[in-house]
Amino acid sequence: MTTIITKTITKICIPLVILFSISLLLAGHNNPGGGFIGGVMFASVIAFAYVVFGLRYIKTFFNPDWAKWFGFGLTLASLTAFSAMMFGHNFFRSAVEFVHLPLFGEIELVSAGLFDIGVYFVVIGSLLFIFKNVGDDNE
Amino acid sequence: MDSFNAITAAIFLPFIFAGLVPVMEKLLKQRVGWFAVATALTCFILIGIAAPDVIGEGHIVQGTISWMPSAGVDFTIYADGLAMMIGFIASGIGVLIMSYSNGYMSKTEDLKRYYQYLLLFMGSMIGMVFSGNTIQLFIFWELTSITSFMLIGYWRHKPESIYGATKSLLITASGGLAMLAGFLLLGNITGSFDLAAILNDPQVINAIKEHELFLITLILIFIGAAAKSAQGPFYIWLPNAMEAPTPVSAFLHSATMVKAGIYLVARIHPIFSGTEAWFILVSGTGIITMLVAGFLAFRQTDIKGILAYSTISQLAYMMTMYGYTTHHEPGIGVAAATFHLLNHATFKACLFLVAGIVAHEAATRDIRKLGGLRREMPITFIIACIAGLAMAGIPPLNGFLSKEMFYESSLEMGASLGGIFTFLIPAFAVLGGVFTFAYSIKLIDGIFLGERDKDAIPHHIHEPPMTMLIPPAFLAFLVILFGVIPSIPIHHIIEPAVSGILLETAHLHIKLWHGFTASLMMTIVTFILGILIYTKYDRIAAWQDNFNMKNPWISINYYYDRAVDSAKGNAFRFSSRSQTGSIKLYMSAMLLLMIALIAIPAAILATNIVPSQLNFDIPPYEAILLVLLIVAALSAAILPKYLPAIIALSALGYGVSLLFIYLKAPDLALTQVLVETLSTIIFLLAITKIPQKYKEKISFSVFTRDILIAITVAASVFVLLLNTTQGIVDPFASLSHYFIDNSLLLAGGHNIVNVIIVDFRGYDTLGEIAVMCLAALGVYNLIHSRSEE
Repeated sequence: MTTIITKTITKICIPLVILFSISLLLAGHNNPGGGFIGGVMFASVIAFAYVVFGLRYIKTFFNPDWAKWFGFGLTLASLTAFSAMMFGHNFFRSAVEFVHLPLFGEIELVSAGLFDIGVYFVVIGSLLFIFKNVGDDNE
Repeated sequence: MDSFNAITAAIFLPFIFAGLVPVMEKLLKQRVGWFAVATALTCFILIGIAAPDVIGEGHIVQGTISWMPSAGVDFTIYADGLAMMIGFIASGIGVLIMSYSNGYMSKTEDLKRYYQYLLLFMGSMIGMVFSGNTIQLFIFWELTSITSFMLIGYWRHKPESIYGATKSLLITASGGLAMLAGFLLLGNITGSFDLAAILNDPQVINAIKEHELFLITLILIFIGAAAKSAQGPFYIWLPNAMEAPTPVSAFLHSATMVKAGIYLVARIHPIFSGTEAWFILVSGTGIITMLVAGFLAFRQTDIKGILAYSTISQLAYMMTMYGYTTHHEPGIGVAAATFHLLNHATFKACLFLVAGIVAHEAATRDIRKLGGLRREMPITFIIACIAGLAMAGIPPLNGFLSKEMFYESSLEMGASLGGIFTFLIPAFAVLGGVFTFAYSIKLIDGIFLGERDKDAIPHHIHEPPMTMLIPPAFLAFLVILFGVIPSIPIHHIIEPAVSGILLETAHLHIKLWHGFTASLMMTIVTFILGILIYTKYDRIAAWQDNFNMKNPWISINYYYDRAVDSAKGNAFRFSSRSQTGSIKLYMSAMLLLMIALIAIPAAILATNIVPSQLNFDIPPYEAILLVLLIVAALSAAILPKYLPAIIALSALGYGVSLLFIYLKAPDLALTQVLVETLSTIIFLLAITKIPQKYKEKISFSVFTRDILIAITVAASVFVLLLNTTQGIVDPFASLSHYFIDNSLLLAGGHNIVNVIIVDFRGYDTLGEIAVMCLAALGVYNLIHSRSEE
């Protein structure tokens, strides 16, 4: 799997797939997509890069602590859920706001979107955390 | 700040500040202990803010914050004199203990963890005593058990600490569960979990006493109290809890946490006392524990062991006195018990701190090796004498006063029972006092008097630093103060507390000298007998050792160990049989269960298994796809090598996602493609490390069995799906309509699937992502625990 062809294609694909995963995440509320799908897409392209280039080589220049990613995601998602309580609403009550920005036009801000970002980070973090640990295991 | 807010703050402050300890440790380094001291001091002051209201005016501070109204449970504060007293003890002794710890704990220890646990414990203890409803009381109660478990097991590398911690948790937490059952019964009888509603209404109390569940409720709650205060057969956890650092033993296992059981007995005193059951249960357990624990203290060689048994015995004094009751006078011993509770907290915490100093300086706690330290540690010696003599009941120290009151109330209780009890109960009391006298003297004599053993402790011993000397010195000062001028504690602490227990204003008159009364005679008899027994001290201890060696079954520990060991063995046998590690076995177990739960009931209940009006109108491209799917599934099952089988499996997955696109479910299709990709990558990674061919030879009978299971499951799922999708069973149509109609309206999203995930069923998603995080951590632990072996 480590031929020059796969290496070249992977290099080109990584930024494209990551951008696409972010667009899936942000578009999720109204179009196909969402945090889970975006997260899995992000995770699979990084996992693919691990396989193609080798975990040891990638770790020399790109070695994030994936545990922090899912920790952050879970914190963000829980905070979003709890934040409604601070405004006297029920747990998990969501809020919708439409904002007009120059250049972008009408933008919909949903508190559930923040929750979705939390999901995104949890999916990426936990999948790659498992992946890296299984891959690191020498026995 | 009003009293209610002050007490609420005192409960939650330690919890919040425990979270800040790691930050403060970065700033203060090894002096982080002083931050904990400041927290405890703040709690003490906050409780003090409520003091004028409760102690001065005699009010009961009450207040409620809505918590779980649907369950009838609120966060309620009930602050009477009793709660104030224990609140002051918990925070006040907390200040002294944490100051002392600054000198005691080595700088290389994990101080952060130590002070966090201490603060969490203090918060739980304060929360427990001020709890105004039983469910809240239970929660704080179990929190004290858990923090105690953490502190006993503080030195994680020592097997004895782990053993002691586990034992204490098993006994005190399961006692707490019995107590919860009792509280639920009480809630069932009265219809309320609110303590004030029960205590303030004489009719409710009468109704409880006449209820048929009265006895079982009392027994269940008392089991909780006895387990916590190490009474009756539950005493065995306290000696092992001495594995904790000595300041912890002084704080939790003598002055505060073990008093929780006594506090509970005092708290439910108005509800249950005045009955025979109360006297027999509480006083009976108390008297037996007092005598047995006092006697067993003789054979202890560890000075903390002696202190542990003496704590059990002293707690039993209080239990006995709270148990003294008659129908006409429900609280004969209440004042004495409450006074003794306060006194015991002062002199016993002081003795533990002295034990900590001795162990710290001499590096041993074995009383056979110690001796003659009075010259090298004169100040410690004086402090130890004051506290030890107070425990022995020597005038003019505070222990003398409360012991006199114990004798008085014993005489009174004996007289009201009449018959043989007139003499028996005071005799038991004196015997308990004799044992106490003997081991108190042994402590002072064994450590400080006599000859110095040069071989056991060769190096030079000196006084400890001031941080370790001032806390016990302050406690010793209190011991003298309470003894010489008893009116100070009596008027400001004991009278309000007793009023809180008896629910009527109490007036007590206690003087150091009160003439030649019967109780003074009993004290003199106690001293004479105590000196006599002390001359035979070592012989009694040797006899006990010998007896225990010959008859191991006499010890309750013997049964505890056997029960725990056999539980471990059984759990191991069960899991080694049910969890063999064979995935095939798990798979067939799951599928067989599925057959039992779905196929068999469906076959029995259904009238026609295959619906009559089937829709065979399939577009040709779907038909082709379905054929391809079947081919892929069959290949995955029968291909002989791993790699082609995996490729067939992923072909199946991609095919299913194509089907989703035909069925107009883009989200599902996208997810399916991605998950399939990821799992194929993982599979491909895994097969590079294992043999490329299936090694296992499958016999014909096993093969037939597996085929049979597979076909049955497939057939039952097939029939089930036919029935649900072909309009025979149609209960779910309305559900999806709700989401279609409301997703834009309520959640502002057009993508229903996503809106369901992040909004309508967001709670589920939160749970799922939490599970994902836990699964990731679980995988990490599995991999790393395996590589350690």
